[in-house]
Amino acid sequence: MACIRAAGLTKSYGGTAAVDGVSLSVEPGRVFGFLGPNGAGKSTMIKMLTTLVRPDSGSIEILGIDAVAEPLRVRRRIGVVLQQPSYEPTLSVENALEKYGMMWGVPRDERKRRAARLMDEFGLGDIKHKRNEDLSIGQRRRVQVAREFMHEMDLLFLDEPTVGLDPSARRDLLDYLKERTGGGLTIFYTTHILTEAEYLCDEIAVIDGGRIHTTGTPDELRRRFGSGRTVRLRLDTEAPGLAARLSGIPGCEALPGGTVVIRSESPEEALRLVLGALDGSGAKIEEISAEPETLEDAFLRMMRKDAPGS
Amino acid sequence: MHPVLRLLRRNVTISLNPGFLIWQIIFPLVYIFVAGFAYAPLISGVPLGGRDLDYPAFLASGMIGFNIMNSTLVSGIIIWNDRRHGMFEQIMSGPFTRAHYILANIGTIGVIGLASASLIAAVGYPVFFESAEFSLYTIPVVAFGAVTGSILFGSLASIISTRLRSSEGFNVVINTVFLFFAFVSTAFYPAEGAPEPLRTAFFLNPLTYLVDVIRAGVFGGITEFVLVEMAVLACVAAALFVAASRLLTKLDL
Repeated sequence: MACIRAAGLTKSYGGTAAVDGVSLSVEPGRVFGFLGPNGAGKSTMIKMLTTLVRPDSGSIEILGIDAVAEPLRVRRRIGVVLQQPSYEPTLSVENALEKYGMMWGVPRDERKRRAARLMDEFGLGDIKHKRNEDLSIGQRRRVQVAREFMHEMDLLFLDEPTVGLDPSARRDLLDYLKERTGGGLTIFYTTHILTEAEYLCDEIAVIDGGRIHTTGTPDELRRRFGSGRTVRLRLDTEAPGLAARLSGIPGCEALPGGTVVIRSESPEEALRLVLGALDGSGAKIEEISAEPETLEDAFLRMMRKDAPGS
Repeated sequence: MHPVLRLLRRNVTISLNPGFLIWQIIFPLVYIFVAGFAYAPLISGVPLGGRDLDYPAFLASGMIGFNIMNSTLVSGIIIWNDRRHGMFEQIMSGPFTRAHYILANIGTIGVIGLASASLIAAVGYPVFFESAEFSLYTIPVVAFGAVTGSILFGSLASIISTRLRSSEGFNVVINTVFLFFAFVSTAFYPAEGAPEPLRTAFFLNPLTYLVDVIRAGVFGGITEFVLVEMAVLACVAAALFVAASRLLTKLDL
């Protein structure tokens, strides 16, 4: 049985469709990444799936429950970390965790145990007596995510949970989430950071203009929309007229600051042409690197293909 | 524990901060013991229910109503803070409904209002000890006033908090409204003897009705006019409660 099953979901605001006929299915124990540019419909979608907003039409089944007809039954079994910060300013970190557990009906001894464990796992021990209003954005975000693990759940929605976290805390969180999915938790994860999606997600859906653009595993998306490898050449100077000379070479792009990028399944021929174009331009190659295309490259290409006028 | 009780417990916990307690305890005490005794030589006696009350007793009973009104600010502050700090949305994505949220807020107002009234009654007791006439008939009247007044002013604060997003706007509006309620009422001075337009304005103010009902309960002067005031208080409280509930139900997520 799918953990999330949505069919033909639509939601409009003031005559503009924020979500337009979206269908998707998420299997248990998986991390499902939901990607899209700003205004693509991600937040509206997550609000409908978490029962915060009713769809105009379509059906949502969460953990086998009709989410439109029985939202409270759904909410008892899911966890939600919203994109916006949520906190009680006057409570200390420790108190905030315990009170959140109390709100979910976790027995006193159990919530004390869980709060202590989560403060340890999320590195909150040093700030446990600090009030929420006195925390940095990153610390507050860690408390917000940790707090959601105070209660039991079968499905967790995370809406850009790493915003404000430093790289180390970000990696720690992703590892923690991976570990939790190993225990059977299903995660619905939205992010703008494609390296996160690549690292964490088993499956990805890309939404744009309120519609699902494509779905697949990170590898599948790279294969489908990527172009094999990326070769980068960093030049010592931005040679005048170089961009014009490179414009005819397939997969080649001159970036501001003296960087030339070649994206191609077999970049050898393009590289040979670029080297020829550089000859006599006055620019010298300082660094050259070749790498497989990332999901981010594939995502950007996907979005550009759909951009008006492309 | 029922979801409403869990939310009520959370509301009380987040409201009981030192600033709020000082506001609730120190401020009324200063009024009762400083203003009460300072003005007493100037105001020889205040007529109430066919007898004269000394001013400190009059003021202490007025402060019960005033403190109930002040304590209900907490409802507006909770809603406003929950919206500003994302907790309203967070709670609504948890095991709660909007009805739970509204009922918990009303419960919080009731608990804080009653606790506040009891506190001032206890502190003010030595002051109006001689003239108080508590009985099986008057105590329910005081409780009625405390609960109805809490719902009325709590609903009003809730309505204001659902309409305003900025902290400046919220503070300006709530302080202006409550300042008007506090001083254009019979909480601090009697309506008798006030110039006519002001006297009429006193009776356009729900705090006047609340304070009159509390005084009638404390000093045992339950007249027909007080019964009318109780009815007005109940009707206004019900209307504002319905309005506040509707606004909260429609609040965007």
